[in-house]
Order: sequence, then structure tokens, then C-alpha cells
Amino acid sequence: MTDNQHNYISKASLASPYFPTWCPGCGNFGVWTAFKNALSELQIPEEQVVIVYGVGCSGNMADFNRVYGFHALHGRAIPNAVAIKLANHRLKVVVVAGDGDTYGEGLNHFISAMRGNHDITLLVHDNQVYGLTTGQTAPTTEKGTKTKSTPFGAPEIQINPIGLALTCDATYIARGFAGDIRHLTSLIKQAILHEGFSLVDMFQPCFTFNKHNTYHYFKERVYNLQEQGFTADNKVAAWEKTYEHDKLPIGLFYQDPHSVAFHKTLSQLDEKMLIEHSIETIAMEKAVSAFR
Amino acid sequence: MQMINSNPQSINWKVAGRAGEGIDVTGIMFGKLCMRHGMNVFAYREYPSLIRGGHNTHQVHASFDPKTSQQKHIDLLIALNEEGISLHKNELNEHSVVFCEAKQDGYDIAKYQDTGATFYDIPMTNMSREETGHFLAQNVVSLGASAWLMGLDIEILKAVIHDAFHDKGETIIEANHRAMQRGYDYAKEHCKPIKETFAKKENNQILLTGNHAVAMGAISAGVQYFSAYPMTPTSEILSSLAAQQVNYNLVVKHAEDEISAINQAIGASYAGARAMTASATGGYALMVEATSLAGVMETPLVICVGQRPGPATGLPTWTCQSDLQFIINAGHGEVPRVVLTPGSVQEHFELTRLAFYLAEKYQLVVFVLSDKYGLESYETMPRPADEYHNQRYGLIEEALPSDDSYRRFVVTEEGYSPRSIPGQAHGLSVTNSYEHDEFGYATEDAQMTKTMNEKRHRKIKGVATEVPQPILIGPAEADITLVGWGSTRLVLEEVVRQASTVGKSVNCIHIPCAWPFPVESFTKLARTAKKLIMVEGNLNGQMESVIKQETDMKFADHIRRYDGRPFYAEEILETL
Ligand SMILES: Cc1ncc(C[n+]2csc(CCOP(=O)(O)OP(=O)(O)O)c2C)c(N)n1
Repeated sequence: MTDNQHNYISKASLASPYFPTWCPGCGNFGVWTAFKNALSELQIPEEQVVIVYGVGCSGNMADFNRVYGFHALHGRAIPNAVAIKLANHRLKVVVVAGDGDTYGEGLNHFISAMRGNHDITLLVHDNQVYGLTTGQTAPTTEKGTKTKSTPFGAPEIQINPIGLALTCDATYIARGFAGDIRHLTSLIKQAILHEGFSLVDMFQPCFTFNKHNTYHYFKERVYNLQEQGFTADNKVAAWEKTYEHDKLPIGLFYQDPHSVAFHKTLSQLDEKMLIEHSIETIAMEKAVSAFR
Repeated sequence: MQMINSNPQSINWKVAGRAGEGIDVTGIMFGKLCMRHGMNVFAYREYPSLIRGGHNTHQVHASFDPKTSQQKHIDLLIALNEEGISLHKNELNEHSVVFCEAKQDGYDIAKYQDTGATFYDIPMTNMSREETGHFLAQNVVSLGASAWLMGLDIEILKAVIHDAFHDKGETIIEANHRAMQRGYDYAKEHCKPIKETFAKKENNQILLTGNHAVAMGAISAGVQYFSAYPMTPTSEILSSLAAQQVNYNLVVKHAEDEISAINQAIGASYAGARAMTASATGGYALMVEATSLAGVMETPLVICVGQRPGPATGLPTWTCQSDLQFIINAGHGEVPRVVLTPGSVQEHFELTRLAFYLAEKYQLVVFVLSDKYGLESYETMPRPADEYHNQRYGLIEEALPSDDSYRRFVVTEEGYSPRSIPGQAHGLSVTNSYEHDEFGYATEDAQMTKTMNEKRHRKIKGVATEVPQPILIGPAEADITLVGWGSTRLVLEEVVRQASTVGKSVNCIHIPCAWPFPVESFTKLARTAKKLIMVEGNLNGQMESVIKQETDMKFADHIRRYDGRPFYAEEILETL
């Protein structure tokens, strides 16, 4: 039997033959659940989603989802995703990557994708440590923290991902917590629906290698911005929120209602998706005339 | 009227001056003037980046006979400043003519009289001012004067100038035509022509660089996504294709770095677009990890690499062939690839076109490996066909099984497998940088690892039957057989032609594909050679090593150059 009928994404359709290899209690389970909820609730045909994964414990999710998956190189998922979207802008393109992957190895790509307002969703598993390589310092590790690669304490000030996204004019900027699946689900859903670049940085406790930023640590500190009446339409107000450290705000920091996605600025993509254009017959005159 | 004696059959003309004086524009117009007479044209450009004032040259070698490289001795030198003479003294002799503006530039031509050349101090800048109100058309004045001296048709030059300025409006065109006429009339009154009037022949050629030809070849093959980061000598591919976005269904992205450029190209290709990236080898060095990614993902990818002298930043605007071994071996793990090595501009077009076909059919990385000399020199080639037709390969047209049994990486005899693309129902799979099973899921299974490596490498067997084979240029038998690859072809062809005029028996073998190395056809051509000499632009004899490794051929001798300069046919001929 063959058919062109599509199936909509559901929890069942997402099931791959493999079950996660993550440590028991890993924050990635919470993220995974919220992500699957979001995809299922959005009612998208299963072939219209591409997930591009970084390399890390987070990226190992590639084997646990049955989708069009692209398991990239460490740090390089964003450029892959940007071009997948431009080649076929009907697709929903989501990047799943670690904080080391995104804010360390691939930082240049992160900044460029935001500046371009490419219509991709970036989910960052922010566990403030390198998981897969077993516990070195990450760009998000608090200064002074002892890790395998910084036995005398991490020497750099930790990066401020939300603040960085604000200065790069990202058009959807949110933070979630793997321990609040309902809330995270709704943030991911909004992010995917947002036309333009969306970042969801996600506090993701790593039981094994980060004994400091635990579930308990976050449970005591996080509070929901929107429940406090914060409206995400003011960059300066959002900026101030990124400097709260005693309490940790989660929710939507900023969304630009006038966002124009990168692919919408390309007239070549007005009528059709790039890959819909036939290359069967190419007329050469316009490419040749200047050389005569 | 007495003619100054130089080879009446060919033109060797050079314009030299400061960057910003329109050296290239002038050279291109002169080249087109020759081409539109029906001649073949080769133009070599130098822009030594470290010399004061940014000294630029554009040198046109034209003739009704084939011309594929520059020549040392110049018939007519247009020196737009004093360095235009002082840096090129050795290229002048008693047959040479120099147009200069010594009085206005404040130097004495007397000090260059020992070259034997004839000097004309022409007030080109003043003429330009009088005719156009601006000094900038001095180069057009020089073109008018060149046309008289070289026996070329002023009406053709008029048309060339018209076309060059057509988007600037009638006023500008007319002003330039006046400047041209002024130079022509001046030369007619004061200078002796150095050539008989050239005939005109029909021809249907175009004049362009290797870079232009790579861009055009990509367009003919239906390129849809091109991402790159600028670096000499391949930046012109980026700018050419960027400009074509208004004419073709093509997205061109100047990426934030080379790593992004190649990863974007891989992403676009994965999504079903025909994709390409390009860089100098230094920029390509940043793409090595992703080359391996494309290999394991079996994603079609075309990479144009332009060699320039290294190590590191090296000599940015000069040429060499020192990255062959690097490109043949680039990418960790064992990555199947094809390395095409075009020589002529036409080959740059054809092999880029071929690269897209091979990459898509065999789902692998195909390099188009060239260098500064091949990519930035101008050469005439026959005008390409009005239309090109492309088939798609490996993409699944029919509906896929609804039981989701489709396997993207199914093990096949030919090594490649039918490819679903995102958006296609029931084609879901993982495209994985990790070793994977037939569905694409990561695996560490020993047998599967072995099977997948072997599967990918079986592609080489098939692709080897479709890559371009070495060609013999010149007489079937000769005392000396020169062997070259890539842009060295251009010079070797010239050597073979010149050899026949001085009674030397020389032919050459050009290798247009370095990997997979065409063992059989090379051996067949080389076996009967009396004396094999390898000519290449590197210190260690990189192609010579490949040939030794792949065949049992031995070379009698070799000629190597690694000073950033191209080979000169005259110099090679002297050493034989
Ligand atoms: C180019 C490259 N450098 C280094 C690595 C090794 N490596 C794999 S994952 C990783 C970091 C993982 O940290 P993060 O991105 O935060 O993801 P996590 O495992 O915590 O989810 C590193 C350094 C690699 N695979 N590739």
C-alpha cells in the first residue's frame, strides 16, 4: 500500500523504536514531553516538520522522535535549519540543541540567525554544563563553579542568553523550565507559531553533572512573568528582567508583533517554495549576455 | 607608412596603473574589442595586494589562432602611472610601444629608453577632461588610441563602449564615444600603427573568467541555493550569483562564516534544493568537518575551491596548485568524493555543470578545484546553448508505502539509495551525522558500521565511469610529453603550440579529474610517452605523488613553480 495522505502529528506518530538513553531524572525528559505535547497540539502534518538537532545529550533526542530529523554537527544546527527553511518555507523548522552547542561552539550562527529573523524555532536545553562530554564548564555556568575542565572554578562570567537575544533583535524570546511542562508546552507552541526567529531557553537540570542547578534550586526561584502581569512588548523592561538572579523569571520576555521573517523578504520565494521551481529547462540568455 | 615589426598574427596588450583607475574595465573592453573581431582572447590580471598604490594590470593576448595564456613580451603597454612602466620594464623590447603621460605625471621617459621601446607621451587625462569634463575617461582615450595602433575597427570599439555603459544613459555613452574618438584621432596623427588592419571573422564567443564560468555552469545546472563567505579568488562566484537572483529561482546567502556557508548548503540540499558553496582553500579549511557531514549524510554537495599560495593567509591575490593533497584527503573518516580540476574557462563551465549531476546522482561531495589563475583570468569560450535541460536523480516521485517501511539509507549495490525530502508523506527518517542504520537511526553496531562504510564507498566505482578522462593535446607522438592538471593546462597548450613553431616535438596530457584518479586512461596515454615531465604549481609534486601512488608510472623530470606566479609558456619551452 502506498499513499500521499498525510498523518497529523500525535504522541503515537512521534514514537520511534528507541527509548531515551538519558539518565533517570534528567531534565531532558520534561523538555521532551513538553515538545511532543506542543507538536501534537499544533495539528501539523507529520511530514511538514523538520527537527534539526545539535550534538549533545539534548541532541540525542534525534533517535527518540519519529519525524524528518537532521542530526547535525556540534554547534552547526542553526545554519542547517536556516537553509532548510529557505529551501522549503512551508516547513516548520525547529532546532533542539544544548547551551554549549548554541552559546559556545555555534555562537556566531545564533547571533546571525537572530539578526536575519530567520523563521526557525530554537529550543536550548540550558543545563549550565556540558552533559555529553561528562561535566565540563558551559558558557552558562556560573562564574567560580568547579567543573571537570575548571577545577579551580569557571573563570568567565556566564552568558546572558535572553539579554543577548534582545540585543540581536530576536523577535520571540522566552524562557521555560523543564519542571513546568504545561507552561513550557505553551511557550514552545507559541514559538513555533511565531513568524520569525524564536528562542526558548529552557532551564534543564542535569542530575549527574550539575549538582548546583537542581530541580529544587529552580523550584525555589522560578516565577512566571505573565502571572505577574508582565507584558512582553518592551525590550527595556525585558532587559531588566534578565538581570534578576535571586528570583528567576520564566515566560515570554519579548515578542515583536510586526516581525517580518527572512524568507518573506525574498521575492524569489513569493510565488512558490524554492524547491517547487522546476530546473528542467534553464534559459541562459540572462546569465550570458553580459559576457558578449 | 612603416610598421613596427611584431607578430602580426597576435596582439599582446597590457594596461597598468593604480587600483581605482578602471584597469579591469579597460582590459575587458579591449578584450571584447578583439573578441568581436572574431579572435580568441586570454586575459591575465595581476593586482599585487602589497605594492604601494594597489598596482593593477590587465593583459590581453588575442589572436585568430587559439590563445590560452599570457605572454611575457608586450606589443602595447598603456601605463597610467610611472609604475605602469617601471614594474614592467622587462616585458618591453624594441618592438614594444608604450602609451604614457610622463609630463603630466612628472617623470622623464628618458630613463626607460634602454628598453628599446617606442614611447608616446599622450595627454590622455587632459583629453578626457576636455571631452567628458572628467579625468576618468583617460582609459577610454587610451582604448581609442590602442584601436588605431593595433589595426582594430573603431566601429566595433564604439559598440563595445556603448554596451559597457548602456545602463548609465545616453549622455555618458556619448561622452565616452568622444573620448574614444579623441584618442583614436590623436594616435592617427602622431603614432605609427604596429599591426596590419585585422580582418573580421564571424564568431559566437563570450569573454569571461573561470569564476563567471563556474557561476554560469551552476545556473545551467539549476543551482537553487548558494552560500559562501568572500575570499579571493572565489568572491566573484558569490557576487555573480548574487546578482542573478533577480533572473533565476536562486537564493544566495553571504553567510556569517565558511562553517555556516557549507552547513547552509548541506541543509538546503537535504531539503531538496540543488546547492553549492565556494571558497579559497583557506576558507575551505573551515569547511572540512562539514564535508565529512555531507559524506555520511549522503547529501549531494558541490564545493568550488580556489587555490592561492599558503600557508595561512599566504599571498592572497596570487596563484598556486598546492592544495591537491589536502582536497583529496579533506574530511575526517573516509569520505567518498570527486575532485574535478578544470583548466580552461569552458571547462570551468562544463565541469561545474557536471559536478551538480554527479553530486545528485551519487549523493556525494563533488569538488571543483581551481586556482587564482584559472578563476580570475579571462578567456573566450563558445557561447553556451540557449537552454540547458536537467533531470533530477535519486528523488522519489511516486507515493511511498503507507506502512512507513521506507528506508532512506537502504543498502544497495550502487551505494546510493532513493532519497525522500521533507514534506514528502511517509518519507520520515533521520539524516544523521552519527553512523546509522538503514532508517537513519544512530547505531554503534559493528556489522552495520562496516556495511554502511562499504555502501558509501561503492559509489566511487560508479562515479569513476562518469568523470572526465585525461586528454592528450598536440601531436599523437612526441619526444616530450608534459603532464599537467587544472589551470596548468592553459600554459601547456601554449607550450605545445609554440614548440611546433621552433621545431621541438612536444605534446601534453591534461588531467581534468584528480579523484577518483583515472588510472586506466592515464596509463594508456602515458605508457607510450618517450619522456614524461610533470608540470605543476607546488613544491612537493602533489599530483606526481598521486600518479605514483595510483599507477606505476615514473616521470623523467618535473617542472614546479611555487612563487605565486603562473607558468609562462616561453619559460617552460626554454627549459625543455
Ligand atoms: C566539533 C566538536 N567539538 C566537540 C565535540 C564534543 N562534544 C559533544 S557534545 C559537547 C558539549 C555538550 O554540551 P551541550 O551542547 O551543552 O549539550 P548537552 O550534552 O549538555 O545537552 C561536546 C563538547 C563534538 N562532538 N564536536
